[in-house]
This record gives sequence, structure tokens and C-alpha cells, in this order.
Amino acid sequence: MDNILALEQVYFRYGEDDPKVLSDLSLDIPGSKVTAILGPNGTGKTTLLHILLGLLKPYNGEVRIAGKPHREYSKRTLSQTIGLVPQFESIPFNFSVFEYVLLGRSPYLKPFQLPGEEDILITEDALVSAGISHLSQKAVTEISGGERQLVHISRVLAQQTRILLLDEPTAHLDLENQNRILTLLKGMANKGVTAVLTTHDPNAAIFAADHFVLMNKGKIAAQGEINQVITPENLTEIYRTPIRVEKTNGFTMVVMDKNQ
Amino acid sequence: MNRATFTRTSIFLISGLLIVFLASIFIGRYPAPPWLPPRLLVEDQLARQLVLNLRLPRLITALLLGMTLSASGSVLQMVFRNPLVEPGFLGVSQGAAFGAAVSILWLNRHPLVIELSATFFGLLALALSYFLSNRIRYGGWVLRLILSGVAVSALFSAGVGILKYIADPLTELPELTFWLLGGLYSVTWRDLVFVLPFALAGLFTAYLMRWRVNLLSLNDDTAFSLGASLTRERIILLTVTISATAALTAISGVIGWVGLIIPHISRRLFGASAEKSIPAAMLLGGGFTIIADDLARTMLAGEIPLGILTSAIGAGLFIYLMISIGIKVRRDG
Repeated sequence: MDNILALEQVYFRYGEDDPKVLSDLSLDIPGSKVTAILGPNGTGKTTLLHILLGLLKPYNGEVRIAGKPHREYSKRTLSQTIGLVPQFESIPFNFSVFEYVLLGRSPYLKPFQLPGEEDILITEDALVSAGISHLSQKAVTEISGGERQLVHISRVLAQQTRILLLDEPTAHLDLENQNRILTLLKGMANKGVTAVLTTHDPNAAIFAADHFVLMNKGKIAAQGEINQVITPENLTEIYRTPIRVEKTNGFTMVVMDKNQ
Repeated sequence: MNRATFTRTSIFLISGLLIVFLASIFIGRYPAPPWLPPRLLVEDQLARQLVLNLRLPRLITALLLGMTLSASGSVLQMVFRNPLVEPGFLGVSQGAAFGAAVSILWLNRHPLVIELSATFFGLLALALSYFLSNRIRYGGWVLRLILSGVAVSALFSAGVGILKYIADPLTELPELTFWLLGGLYSVTWRDLVFVLPFALAGLFTAYLMRWRVNLLSLNDDTAFSLGASLTRERIILLTVTISATAALTAISGVIGWVGLIIPHISRRLFGASAEKSIPAAMLLGGGFTIIADDLARTMLAGEIPLGILTSAIGAGLFIYLMISIGIKVRRDG
């Protein structure tokens, strides 16, 4: 089974009388790859991630993980399978980086259980993988935005899930930190993890992803490989601004077209 | 702080609490302030009676009260993701006092009835604060919850005022006035027996679920992705800790500030993770309240109401913490 995540004709709205946020959404996400969900702000990308996570339930349609419908997973199994890095995570208390990343082990603990030696080792490994073990004892409220995003990613690494959902993981980050995070995700995909990230920045998506999903107004506009999805026509229509796609030395780059 | 260090510190804290507890048995104004010589326990029948029937139940209640207020404060602060809440700020204490007053006036003066009524109104006040804060249209979560808590508290304290006004000045009023001041001078073994199950249930649940409390302090989507059953776990934790607080409030009256300041000190000393900060807050809170009660009954010839002392010390410490090391409140959310 190639597609680890699949949505079939999913419809979603927040309340009975609210407009539809997602309509007739069908989607296949390949396993062990990085998939980028692209689209303008407010197009339902975050809602889609919450549906994949199981936090929101579609009122129509089905979500399948590794071929099995969402509802057949227990809460515990689900949290051992899918991890999330949300777009905004406010942490009102001064957890140390280590304490916070250790929370990623929660899906493996019984209700009254505390993390043990093994959980501590896995947490230390997660910090090393993200290259932030030197921050271990710092307070999460006292580190930079880029470091904090790496801390969130360490937490899902400690969660050891096969699927990672990341909501705008590179927004507000400088190029160095974008590079670190996207390279880390590519490395994870090589180790068999499926990463799904949303972004409104096509170049970040091109840098990291193998598979592309273009969303517009709660619908899928295009999905597939880079050449099928990242085209000037698609992007110009969706971002409602003239866009060129340049290819040099095998690199693809999306730029706003000043000449039109 | 790693686990080995924390275990050592805990042993130190427990020993400290034990010493405070044992010393407090002898602190008081009989036969002369501030101290009852231990030999009198053997020689003086009255001293023995006093320690067994008055001081011991009072001390144990002070211990449970401090532990419970601190544990509830920690749980509320983390579950509401708001470092500025405590049972009193969310209307729970005033609600419980109102419930106790209703019971004294119209229902029954049996301790269990008073406690159940206090618990019911304490939970009601919390629910009101919560729903009101979701309806307020401006300000962040921290501000909205504080505003709602202030309004709900005022509502219930007005209710208590009305009840005072219509109470019989000879029989009912003195008992009611007691709630507003807060104190442990009338606590008996019988009161303690009725409070004990509520207090222990609250303390054990907060202790056992302390790792889950950490999860609930995260964003909803993150907590969900880590396997938390948000609604169920919040309801369990809030119900047991608020019931414990309300039951104790029914015999102690309104004791403010302990539930706010002790969790802050505990997090400052032991880190934010509830794995350590909740048990530490229980120990610190127990010690703090016992010492405050020792002062309440020895400083002056007449007893100072405990609630006044905890407010004075608590507010003083709070001001000190705010201006010296800063209590961080994030503006978002």
C-alpha cells in the first residue's frame, strides 16, 4: 500500500449553519515522502491537517490511515501513529526544552505512568537529531523563534510516529532556519517517515517536498509531482497574482512576475 | 532539576513539613504564649485534652487545606493555561462560602450537608466563570478569565451579603460572618472526618494525574495529538480538585492567595513540569498554611482570622515575586 493517508470525498464545516470549509476533498498522500500542501491563507490547510489528525470529524467522507478508516484506531494508537506541529503553540509555563520534548512520550505512557529511562534516552536522541541538545536545559519561553520550531519538531520526533503533520513549519523563520527544518524533514522521509507540511510559500515546498497538493477555497486544485502542480497557470490563478516558474540547473523557483 | 536531585529535595521538604507539624503541636497560648512545654503533655490533663481535641484536628485540617489549595491552584493554572488563576479568583471560594451559607440558613447544619452545598456552589461558580469568559468579546484568555472570575466572585459575595442581612443576628449571623474571615478555630474531629474523603480524593487525583496535567497545559491540538482526552481529563481533574477545595472551604471559610502564590513558588524552585511542581506545591502549601495558622493563634491575645493572614503574606510575596524576578504572563491566546 503506497498511500499512507487518504481522504475520500471529505466535506467539513465548523457548525451546522456555517459555510463549508472543505468540500468534496479527495486526496492521496504517499508514504515515506514529504508532501507539501500549498495554498493561499485561509484556504482550509489547517482544517485539513486537523481532519487528518482526527481532531475534527468530517460530516461526510472518510479518512484512512494505512488503508484503515480513522474510527478503527484507538486514541492511543492514533497518537502513536500521527504527530502534529501546530502553527501556533503558546506555552504559558517555563518548561525546560527537555521537559517539553519529553511530553512527546505521552502516547506510550499509561494514565498514571511517568516517563522512564527509555523515554529519557529517546528524548535525548530527538534533541540530538534536531541539533538542539545544547538547549536542553533552557526554558522554552526564552529561546528564539527558529530554535522553538526545532523544539516542537523534536517533540514529534520523540513521539516516534510514522506520520508527521506540520502546519506552516517555516513561517516567520529566516533562511538558515528554514533550511535546517526542511532538511531535517527530508532526512526523516528517507528514514521512512511520512511528512505532510502546509505552507503558503511555494519555494519552501519545492525545496523540501516530493509530492504537491495545491488547495484553493477548500478544494483540491491540483495534486501530483512538481511538474504537474507547480505551473505558472496554476499558481497565477490561485494566488491571484502573475507568477513565473523558472528552471535553472535543475532547480525550480517561483517568482512574482513584475513584467505583467 | 533531575529526578535524583528532586528525590533528595523532596525528602528534605517532607522532613521540614514534619518538623513544622510536630513543633506546631506545642505552639499556642496555653498555658502561656508562645509554647507548651512538652512535659506538660504528661503532667497536665488539660494540656493533653487541648492537644488531642483542639490542636491536632486543627493542624491536620491546616495541612490538608494548604495542600489542597496549592494542588488545586496548580491544576487550575495549568488546565486553564493561565498562571494567574487560583480557586478564589475563579469564584470557587465565594461560591463555596455562599453554598455553606445557604446550607446553614435553610438546609441543614450537618457538616456533610454544608460541604455538599459548598461543593455544588463552588463548581457552579467555576462553570459560570468559564462560560462567561468564553462569551466576553475582547481581551486575551488570561484577562477574560480573570474578569469573569472577579464578576462571578462579586455575585456570590453579594449573595453572601444578602444572606448575612436576613440571617438571625443571634443564632445564624455569627456562624456566617466566620466564612468571610476564614479560620480554623472551630474545627473538630467530626468536621475533619467529613472533609477527609474529599481532600484525599482531590490530592491523590492531582498527584496521580500530574503528567496528564502537563499535557492539558498545551494547545488543544497538540494535547490531542499526544493522546489526551481533553474534555474527560479536564472534567475529572477540575471536579475532584474543586470539590476538595469547596469541602475544605466549608470548614475553614475563605482562605485566599495560598492557591496562587504557592504554585508560583513551586514552579520557580522545581521547574514548570507538574511532575515535580505539583507534589512540591502540596508540601510547600501544607507547611505555609500550618505556619500561617500558628501565627494566627499566637500573635495576638485574640485569634487573627487565618484568611486575613494568608492574604497579607500571600499578597506581599506576590508583589515581591512580581517586581523582583517577574511572573511571566504571555499576552497571546
